[in-house]
Amino acid sequence: MVEYLPILVMFAIAIAMAVVILVLTHLLGPRQDDPVKLSMYESGVNPAQDSKVRFSVKFYLVAILFVLFDIEVVFLYPWAVTYKTLLSSLGWLMFWQMFIFVAVLLVGFGYVWKKGGLQWD
Amino acid sequence: MDNTVFTLLPLMILVGFSLLVLVADMMLAREQRPALGIVALIGVIVSLISCSWLWNAPQTAWSDMIVSDHFALFSYIIFLVSTGLTLLLSMRYLSEEDIQFGEYYALLLLAATGAMLMASGLDLMTIFIGLEILSISVYILAGFARRNERSLESALKYFLLGAFATGFFLYGIAMVYGATGTTNIKVISQVVSEGTIRSQSFLWIGIALLVAGFGFKVALFPFHVWTPDVYEGAPTSVTAFMSTAVKAAGFAAFGRVFLSALQPMHADWTGILWILAVFTMFFGNITAIAQRSVKRMLAYSSIAHAGYMLIAIIAGDANLSSGSLLFYLLGYAFTNVAAFGIVIYLSRKGETEFDGKDYAGLAIRHPWLAFVMAVCMVSLAGIPPTAGFMGKFYIFSAAIKAKFYWLAVLGVINSVISVYYYLRVIFVMYFEKPAADYVHGTLSLGMKIVLILSVIGIFQLGTVPGSVMALLQNSMMVFQ
Amino acid sequence: MPVDLLLIGVKAAIFLGIWLTLVPAMVLVERRLSAFMQDRLGPNRVGPFGIVQPIADALKFFFKEDVIPHHVDKALYLLAPAAILIPSLVTFSVIPLTEPFGFSLFGQDIHFKFQIADVSIGILFVFAVASLGVYGIVLGGWASNNKYSLLGGLRSSAQMISYEIAMGLAALSVLMMAGSLSIFDIIQMQIFNGETGKLFGVLPVSGWLIFHQPLAALIFIIAVFAETNRLPFDLPEAEQELVGGYHTEYGSMKFAAFFMAEYCNMVTGSALIIALFLGGWSTLFFDPWVAGLPVFFKIFVQFSVFMTKLIVVLFFFVVVRWTLPRFRYDQLMNLGWKVFFELALLNVVITAVVIGFMSVS
Repeated sequence: MVEYLPILVMFAIAIAMAVVILVLTHLLGPRQDDPVKLSMYESGVNPAQDSKVRFSVKFYLVAILFVLFDIEVVFLYPWAVTYKTLLSSLGWLMFWQMFIFVAVLLVGFGYVWKKGGLQWD
Repeated sequence: MDNTVFTLLPLMILVGFSLLVLVADMMLAREQRPALGIVALIGVIVSLISCSWLWNAPQTAWSDMIVSDHFALFSYIIFLVSTGLTLLLSMRYLSEEDIQFGEYYALLLLAATGAMLMASGLDLMTIFIGLEILSISVYILAGFARRNERSLESALKYFLLGAFATGFFLYGIAMVYGATGTTNIKVISQVVSEGTIRSQSFLWIGIALLVAGFGFKVALFPFHVWTPDVYEGAPTSVTAFMSTAVKAAGFAAFGRVFLSALQPMHADWTGILWILAVFTMFFGNITAIAQRSVKRMLAYSSIAHAGYMLIAIIAGDANLSSGSLLFYLLGYAFTNVAAFGIVIYLSRKGETEFDGKDYAGLAIRHPWLAFVMAVCMVSLAGIPPTAGFMGKFYIFSAAIKAKFYWLAVLGVINSVISVYYYLRVIFVMYFEKPAADYVHGTLSLGMKIVLILSVIGIFQLGTVPGSVMALLQNSMMVFQ
Repeated sequence: MPVDLLLIGVKAAIFLGIWLTLVPAMVLVERRLSAFMQDRLGPNRVGPFGIVQPIADALKFFFKEDVIPHHVDKALYLLAPAAILIPSLVTFSVIPLTEPFGFSLFGQDIHFKFQIADVSIGILFVFAVASLGVYGIVLGGWASNNKYSLLGGLRSSAQMISYEIAMGLAALSVLMMAGSLSIFDIIQMQIFNGETGKLFGVLPVSGWLIFHQPLAALIFIIAVFAETNRLPFDLPEAEQELVGGYHTEYGSMKFAAFFMAEYCNMVTGSALIIALFLGGWSTLFFDPWVAGLPVFFKIFVQFSVFMTKLIVVLFFFVVVRWTLPRFRYDQLMNLGWKVFFELALLNVVITAVVIGFMSVS
């Protein structure tokens, strides 16, 4: 694990930088509050209603699809890294294993596509 | 690679066919969709055939994650039978309910796959994955009539409670893992019998959580609350599937875990299950008496039957218990699917009342249908010469052999109670006058096949049970 | 151990120096070049050719009022700029700029890897940490309690996660060829040594993977554009429709933090493109010659080559931004899901087949 130490250090540095930037800009700038300045920006008119409005369900759908297919890709990573070396011992089985896995997911993808899950309009 | 890859052949076939159904669904026109049911049915039959191919060579595969012993394979047969019968019931029913979508068939096949994975899992994680595949498919199926509020309500109830139960189950696995250091059933059994458990209390908590998880799936007494509503709200064909395949899957995994992994602790966990079994039987039977709707009555009766099946597990002898349990499940599958088939046929969208005109005088209008329903009721009540009787006989004799005399007696008392409400259906069918204005449709071919097969199955198991029981000898022999 | 820590500090300083120099430089180049392309002058008053302009900008940001509007969710609002800045300052820690080399300092032999952390999961680490940035954007959009911000944040997160899949798949085919997740190994594989450079063992091209995996390279580069919210994929900001997207309600250095993060990610993305597809410090057919140079010259050449490539790719980013119009949102999502996902997957399968035939036969 020692090779991960520098990454820890980098995280510490990055956090420190972020904090310093946020604190510095808070301290250095002038403060002249007034209610209009602190109100919600809505192109100059008075804000109409709360902005936590309902938004398209498509975003949820994309999130779910992302989880599905990104996990698929992540599953493929160990396979990809060992593909060359294991080809010699397992032969084409190595290929077919992945192919079936991807094919199963592709059927699901085709299904989503056909059902309009990817339609944005 | 050796041929252990094909240990899961029946499951692979089902998955392949469910994908085929999905793909075909995208290409077919709306009117052609019932054909997808045929495709799915072919998948089930091919899968059944592949089971027989695996029968003679029980083996474990994938680093002991999967086993194909007779217990698993016979469970496969139960699931496949109930899936196949459900498919036959569904084709016409879905069109009538206007929910004819290809996903239904694909999900049904996937649910069966999950059930099979649960039965063949030799590792708690495999069982869990099977449970998830099964549950998620059935959550969707329960809400498949998506324009029907009751169906949606039932799906949501089932999903919310089911998610909790899955959580309990997973937590139970974690606890058992903490106590024994493994999730493999073989190794757990070893560790438990050698007494090298790291923490007895963890194991206890784990067992309790596992019981809760399984108890939910099979509708045992304190975890049964979802059952009536879900069974009633879900499309009736799905209810038929849930009360047979899902219950059977729950019991298969239940049996696998308690009869082999925790078998060495048998004396310790029987107490808790004893109480659950008795409460489940009494609760199911007594509340079933009060029901006016046949669908709801069958829901409560399925709770009661879970109680009987639990007796088999309590008996605790791996071969005897699992044999009688599987026998009972098979008989129950035939009986219940046929009963729900008749409920489907007689129900016009909406409520199916006991004393309503649907059942009254059925014997006059449809003698054969009434006969089938009567056979189902007799079998559920456990009267010879039906599958239900032989199933109960095996279970109670297993209990007596294991010296659980009181349990057997209570079981018999419950059977007697149940006779009352089962026979009431027969009474209504045979002795009440039919409503004059009521017109029935025709029986679909699929329905006819289901009813005929079920009656044959019920009598076959009820009169010559020996042939099936012979198959179940040493059903868990891979472990011994 | 103290020497190790010192080395880590030195490396961190070097890398941060490079990245935090390139970021303001990029801003300046962007402004000057866009001005040139639009027949304007651009900033040319502060220092010769406006070179000091970015520093002046930064100072100005620091001394601006730190407005925290009433209606925001204060904790999350303040967290968002940090949440987006931190990952962008960490991702580049696994990118090597030259080969490792040894030298002795104060009588101690030091094996110097020009890379902050040599972890075996290399590229996976980049993806993992880079995707944390999306939290900053979502938090910023949500906490600002502003309709433009919310929409910008949602759009951006949907866009980033959509293109992440294509990006991951494009990288996958590289991994299959390299058989390693370590970026150093991937670059090493692309170094030309007379043999490895042959395409399918026949065509004598360089070992740069862009020649072997042109489709993957194309998808990867485009996905990097989308991941960094650059035109033609800058819909989250789309100033004509969404004012500023998720950073509408931000001011002072908090606003600048979003841009710092974006530019940092752009530099890291370019470095990744170079490492995966453009051979890292490889110099095409001069590689054998470079390998024969004395060690310090060699390192110097490699470093300069990497930096030159980095600058060229970044320049490409700027040119693209001021050349192409913006996509419409449905087009963007269609492109990601319906085109790149399939193409990348197809590419993976083809790669698998070709490698299979080459090594099994």
